[in-house]
Amino acid sequence: MANSRLSDSERFNLMLALTALLVDQREYEIEDLMSHFKTTREEIVEAVRLIGFTELIDIYDRRPYIVDFDDLHDGLVSIRFSNSVDLTDVPRLSSRQTSALAAGLAYLAALPGLAEVGEIEELQKILASGIDDENSRSEIHIVPGAVDSDLATLRQAITNRLSISCDYLNLKGETSIGRILEPIRLEPQAEFVYLRAWCPTNEEVRAFRIDRMRKATVLPDRPISEAAKTAEFPDEIYTPGENDVEVVLEVEPEAYSLMHDFRPVEKPESVSTHVKRFKVKVGDVRVLGRIISRFGGAARVISPEPAKQAVRRFALEAIGVRNQQAPKDAE
Amino acid sequence: MDDLDPNEYKIGKPERLFNLTCLLLHFSNGISKNDILRSIPAYSAEYVEGGDNSSLERKFERDKDELRETGIMVEAVIAEVEDQNNQATKYVIRSESFFWPKGLSLTPRQLALLNLAADAWAGGSLSAIASKGINKLRAMGEVNDGDSIIGIAPRLNSNEPNLHEIGTAINERRVIEFDYRKPSTGEIMPRSIEPWLLRQIAGQWLVLGYDRMRNAPRNFMLRRMVSNVKIARGTQPFDPPNQSEIDNAIADLEKLAAKQVAVIKVEKNTEAWFRYELDLGATSSSGKVELNFYDMHVLAEQLREYAGQIQVIKPDDLAALVRDGFQKVADQHG
Repeated sequence: MANSRLSDSERFNLMLALTALLVDQREYEIEDLMSHFKTTREEIVEAVRLIGFTELIDIYDRRPYIVDFDDLHDGLVSIRFSNSVDLTDVPRLSSRQTSALAAGLAYLAALPGLAEVGEIEELQKILASGIDDENSRSEIHIVPGAVDSDLATLRQAITNRLSISCDYLNLKGETSIGRILEPIRLEPQAEFVYLRAWCPTNEEVRAFRIDRMRKATVLPDRPISEAAKTAEFPDEIYTPGENDVEVVLEVEPEAYSLMHDFRPVEKPESVSTHVKRFKVKVGDVRVLGRIISRFGGAARVISPEPAKQAVRRFALEAIGVRNQQAPKDAE
Repeated sequence: MDDLDPNEYKIGKPERLFNLTCLLLHFSNGISKNDILRSIPAYSAEYVEGGDNSSLERKFERDKDELRETGIMVEAVIAEVEDQNNQATKYVIRSESFFWPKGLSLTPRQLALLNLAADAWAGGSLSAIASKGINKLRAMGEVNDGDSIIGIAPRLNSNEPNLHEIGTAINERRVIEFDYRKPSTGEIMPRSIEPWLLRQIAGQWLVLGYDRMRNAPRNFMLRRMVSNVKIARGTQPFDPPNQSEIDNAIADLEKLAAKQVAVIKVEKNTEAWFRYELDLGATSSSGKVELNFYDMHVLAEQLREYAGQIQVIKPDDLAALVRDGFQKVADQHG
């Protein structure tokens, strides 16, 4: 969010929020407002400028909000205002905004160890008190998937910046026993919970699915390294490597989720009214077997041939047909 | 400082909406459309006294809609006298509907939790809606308190292409139409529903609504919609359902899941063995697991992930579904 320009309606919304904050007559550093509203310097400056330009012809004798543009230039935000200003407090949320936040909270409530039930209930009440329309009701309802028993341990390790040891079963079916990881962040997603952790052996941040993890134990004598603390990593779980193979996939709506799980190399194109085709990068085509088979026909590999064969082989082996035309390049 | 000179600035939409909001709040007894068009600089530049202002009026209508979407209700107040003359209509934003009840504030911890709730929608179609909501709430929290919750970044998938459209339709109580693929036969049928509630169950999006063809509440999975969702033309907003109707429909789906049980046998020490937590001794060590499901096709997908590690004991339909899916994939890639 911090990197993209706000839309007109988002900027208007930020102006409302900033005005509500600024009419308490305090002075703020732009830096502080940037981190509070999680946006860029440009957006804060732009919103404050626009508040300063507010003008109602023949109604206020002058501009209602006076912004000191020199201060703004120096990184400070404050406004003076005439007694007649009418935006004096925080605006309510729309029912859709409330609904999205309430559903987000309900989801958080299901993550063990994150918040007390009472805390979430209190917040839900606060949100509900901001709804003016009595007929309004939530439009979204979240029922999370299963949560894993290791989650609380991992949160404890992250909060205390300590390493863990665990057993981990990778995608190829190999288990590593007593693996040391330096946990950075938990990322509960729709179906699975991922742990981003610095792997001291590979010296990089990797994503681990915690349902494949067992016996996670906090190591009290092993704080996480400086490398883990400062590591930067992209939001996507899977990031392509240099030697990855380009694979063309075709998906029906039932498998559109693949367009978001992988990051397509180019914008997906429409093959027919609802079939999309896109290119992704894959490190090892053998992982495609299970990813594609899952959808039972709603996702297809178009090219290259070895990737198609890997999928075919996986599907055939799954139903007990083995050694069907194993391609020469298979390992 | 030249770039900050107000006189050189072209008035954009955010500023116009902000001016309009201030104006409508200022006149607590309402203000006429003509006075609005005269008073807001972005309108007044184009306003012709006594002339045709129809395009400007349309702009005002669009701005009102935009305000409503962000939660600001512009009411039309008809003057008691002259109520047949459209010119007498006055517009107002009631401060009690606009502002939060007095005295509310958020602790840093509460704001941090709300930030997380908003961030959970990041990257999807509900992201903009949630971020506007949280920005208003941030005005109620102390600046410079930092986030007290570290190390967690939950993500709710909101990438379904029709999610936004359906959310809008629920909010505006509009009938929607779409083509829906029945998973059992693959047959595509047009559907028309009154959407009530969006639900995400273990990562799968459903819309619960009143099916106008079957005259009963039904659940539809968004990923089985094979067309864009459209607001049905020429239909009036539908009457909202009672909360009990919604609750009953939710309970029905839960009852269905409670009734539908699959039994699988899991190979020892495989990924599936981990997945179903058999190593933790939660269930019998024989490797047999009972699973409740509300949709056999979704369960079949999940089970295909564990090819070679599990065997479906019952029901037979599920075993066939898992197998047929693999066969289809094999055929497609031959």
